Amino acid sequence: MMNNNATLLIPIILPILCGILTGMFGKLRLRARYKGIAIAGMLAAEAVIVILALRIGRVFVVGSINSDIRILFRVDALSRLFGALVAFVWFLTGIYACEYLKKDRHFDSFFAFYLMTEGLIVALSVAGNMITFYMFFEMMTMLSFPMVMHDRTHEAIRAGLKYMFYSVAGALMSLVAIFMLTPYGYLGDFKAGGILDIEALTGHEQVLLVSALLMIVGLGTKAGMFPMHAWLPTAHPEAPAPASAVLSGVITKTGVIGIIRGVFYCIGPRLLAGTWVQHVWIILSLITVLMGSMMAYREPMFKKRLAYSTVSQVSYMMFGLSVMNSVAFTGAVSHIVFHSLIKTTLFLVAGAVIHQTGHTRVDELKAIGKEMPVSMICYTIVSLGLIGIPPLSGFVSKWYLASGALMSGTTPYSWLGPVILLVSALLTAGYLLPVTIRGFFPGVNYGVGTPNRAEPDAIMYLPMIVMAVMTLILGIYPGFITATIQLIAEGIF
Amino acid sequence: MDFLRNLPFFSIMLAMFTGIISSAVNGRTARRLTLTMVTAVLVMSALTLSYTEQIGESVTYLMGHFPAPWGNEIRFGTLEAFLALYFSIIMLLSVLGGWSHVITDIEAGKENLFYVLIDMMMSSLLAMIYTNDLFTGYVFVEINTIAACGMIMIRQNGHGIVAAIRYMVMSLIGSGLFLIGISLLYDVTGHLLMVPAHNAIEQIVTDGIYYTPLLVIIVLISVGMAIKSGLYPFHSWIPETYGYATPTASAILSSLVSKGYIILLIKIFYRVIGFNIVISSHVLNALFAFGVIAMIMGSLHAIMQTDCRKMIAFSSVAQIGYIYMGIGLGTKAGMVAAVFHLLTHAATKSLLFISAVGLYEVSDGRTDYLGLRNAAYRNRVAGIAFSVGALSMVGFPMLSGFISKYLFATAALEKPHKMLITLVALIISTVLNAIYFLRQVVTIYSGRPGEAASTSHFIKEAIAESTFSNRFASIALILLNLFLGLFSEAVIDLISRGLNLFA
Repeated sequence: MMNNNATLLIPIILPILCGILTGMFGKLRLRARYKGIAIAGMLAAEAVIVILALRIGRVFVVGSINSDIRILFRVDALSRLFGALVAFVWFLTGIYACEYLKKDRHFDSFFAFYLMTEGLIVALSVAGNMITFYMFFEMMTMLSFPMVMHDRTHEAIRAGLKYMFYSVAGALMSLVAIFMLTPYGYLGDFKAGGILDIEALTGHEQVLLVSALLMIVGLGTKAGMFPMHAWLPTAHPEAPAPASAVLSGVITKTGVIGIIRGVFYCIGPRLLAGTWVQHVWIILSLITVLMGSMMAYREPMFKKRLAYSTVSQVSYMMFGLSVMNSVAFTGAVSHIVFHSLIKTTLFLVAGAVIHQTGHTRVDELKAIGKEMPVSMICYTIVSLGLIGIPPLSGFVSKWYLASGALMSGTTPYSWLGPVILLVSALLTAGYLLPVTIRGFFPGVNYGVGTPNRAEPDAIMYLPMIVMAVMTLILGIYPGFITATIQLIAEGIF
Repeated sequence: MDFLRNLPFFSIMLAMFTGIISSAVNGRTARRLTLTMVTAVLVMSALTLSYTEQIGESVTYLMGHFPAPWGNEIRFGTLEAFLALYFSIIMLLSVLGGWSHVITDIEAGKENLFYVLIDMMMSSLLAMIYTNDLFTGYVFVEINTIAACGMIMIRQNGHGIVAAIRYMVMSLIGSGLFLIGISLLYDVTGHLLMVPAHNAIEQIVTDGIYYTPLLVIIVLISVGMAIKSGLYPFHSWIPETYGYATPTASAILSSLVSKGYIILLIKIFYRVIGFNIVISSHVLNALFAFGVIAMIMGSLHAIMQTDCRKMIAFSSVAQIGYIYMGIGLGTKAGMVAAVFHLLTHAATKSLLFISAVGLYEVSDGRTDYLGLRNAAYRNRVAGIAFSVGALSMVGFPMLSGFISKYLFATAALEKPHKMLITLVALIISTVLNAIYFLRQVVTIYSGRPGEAASTSHFIKEAIAESTFSNRFASIALILLNLFLGLFSEAVIDLISRGLNLFA
């Protein structure tokens, strides 16, 4: 069991090292093409290494800082799934970013932080206990916020700092929860279904519940859950498109992964099911789902609209986790994967639009489908996926979420939840599809003659196509993902 | 090996005599003498530490041949030796990190006086760490005050003199209270040596007499030391003092001087009065409350500052609050956390002051926080060092600040009725820390394109040499910080054993 396997360190250290090297040598006067090839090569290598190195059951103990704090990596099915997702999304977005930021003054510093952040996210996905997770979570925050303030304008810096402060405050809430639960064995190694010492807990149930809520709200900050969601709509529009893509597509999910680890692998759902904490959690997540959709619906800025959409969609996962049964859990975790692909694509499209036409408002996007047909077709496919229309992937996860909620027996939420999810799906259609509709059918008053083609370089639209196709394939053949997740869920419940 | 027992006494004397000799030589020689002396003290403290680790108990060393209750004593155990070692490391790095500014800040021909003051400071710090006699303690507290005042006002500008006077007034009030405290203690017990005084106090407590005088003594001593170390409502001297002194002086004042008083206070709590008696007097609760207020108010004040050095200075107010909060928890774990944070803060705050120097050097000497735009690109080592210091203060994992927070939080768990306040204060204070420190870090890494400052009005050669020693000191302090963050187990173990020997 405790055979140390140092190969686990490679996928963590490699990107961090590459990031540092990029930061040191990025100013070299190379042609942008070579820099791009080098970076794409690094990201591809990382993706392969993640798949090869993250074998289930591998363990590596880095060391212990003191008797309580052990730094430990261990791979389980969840870490493998999430690690692979991270590497995949990071690779595709990285390729896109090489083109998107080709003429940018801060090309090197963006990729330095981009690569380092990837290493840290892989590290937190294989973290073997909560304190290791926390450490890499905190470091990931610190190294990802320079990506938000990439443009170094006044607004970008403000947005970066806002992201930072919300994250620090949230992380500290979870840290306090960790400290409060330490006497009950919270720092032990993750085990599906919980590790707390039930005997020591007797008589301290309120401590447990308060800490659990702190943990959920604290880590929920990263996931954009109400009441700590406000950083998300500020940070996304200011960040460059590739940064918003990974921020929305992956980094918000680290909060969800943190909650899965903190609640389902440490506290255990049995201790929380039916308590007031569960109710608060369900209510918060439903509020966020509805509020996010409504804010997105009335938001005129394209990227900000997508950001509000993220607020809403990530809380779908939170809702799935909060009802605490294996079906909804499957829905939540598969939504992590599906939403990650979808939202990354959406942000890449938004970035492409800005890059090619400079339009940032939704009402400027008339006839955009004529100008950028490939990008907009990808946009349409993934939008339909996000709304949850079969046979696209979003349908699968939402099906599990709704049916899980219905069989959970937590009235009134067992019926209220699916209703809100449905309303939110309608709103999703309402805020995503107008772009498509007016993009392809600009109306009679639209100018005659051929539209000016503004399609971006193939390097930029290939990643979108890949992810849109993935959305379709995973919608038709979701079995391979859902079966893995069901296995994970069985261990927990 | 018994010879090693003499080393603490030697190191105090060495520091004093270096001061005396330095007054007769020029600035350059005085600096070399000081550096040699501090290095020698460092080596001697390391030897003392290994000696105490071997024998595993504290040693009482008679000065002269008069045994207790008459003579003067030095007493040292693991913690004392370790603190002496640690303080000499910080002292060495602070002097190295800022010496070029001693040349520019101080009137020509008077540099040697600055090093005389540093030597005095070193000897008084060592004496406060080692002494086993209350009156000797008081004498060295005064020497420390005088040395500190000199260090503040030796940079002869208006601000420096105002700051020095302010420091002098507050400090004298503090030592006055302390003096009244030990006079009363002498009245009640008839002793000035710590151990006999402690025995007398235990007798008094069992007899149930002198309850009020004893309470007054504890209060006077605590308040005196709290004023001198700058606990919140008595902090008004800190920002001016740290903000306008020459950088070496700021680093030493913030990271060592205030700590010396805290150590003396802890020593008096443990060795003279007895920790249980202190706890039952409820004075600790007051220290706890002021500590918590300091943690929050200090950070709030820091946010309002535009001058980078004053910001760092106000952050010290908050950090002193952390230490008093730890002491105020009234448990062994709280005390360990407080002592560990004392080490953390000494390493981090000197790192911040020293690296900030590196940043002004390349920013036309501007110290307001917008003036430092892009400075980190002009002096990369200083930029990294400042960021590390700032992250450590915010409690970034793997750095010393994280371990401090962890220790405070776990210590708080043992005290249910103080737990919530401690945890909430920790959160609020950390978020506030993040606000002002990260704002500064972001500023030094960003700015308007093409903005660059000249370094014209600085002495060129001083810069060339300084950047090297400043870089060296910054890197060494970063390593010290990482050491505390990654190998905390050994240090915590040492502190905890040392505290057992303290009583």
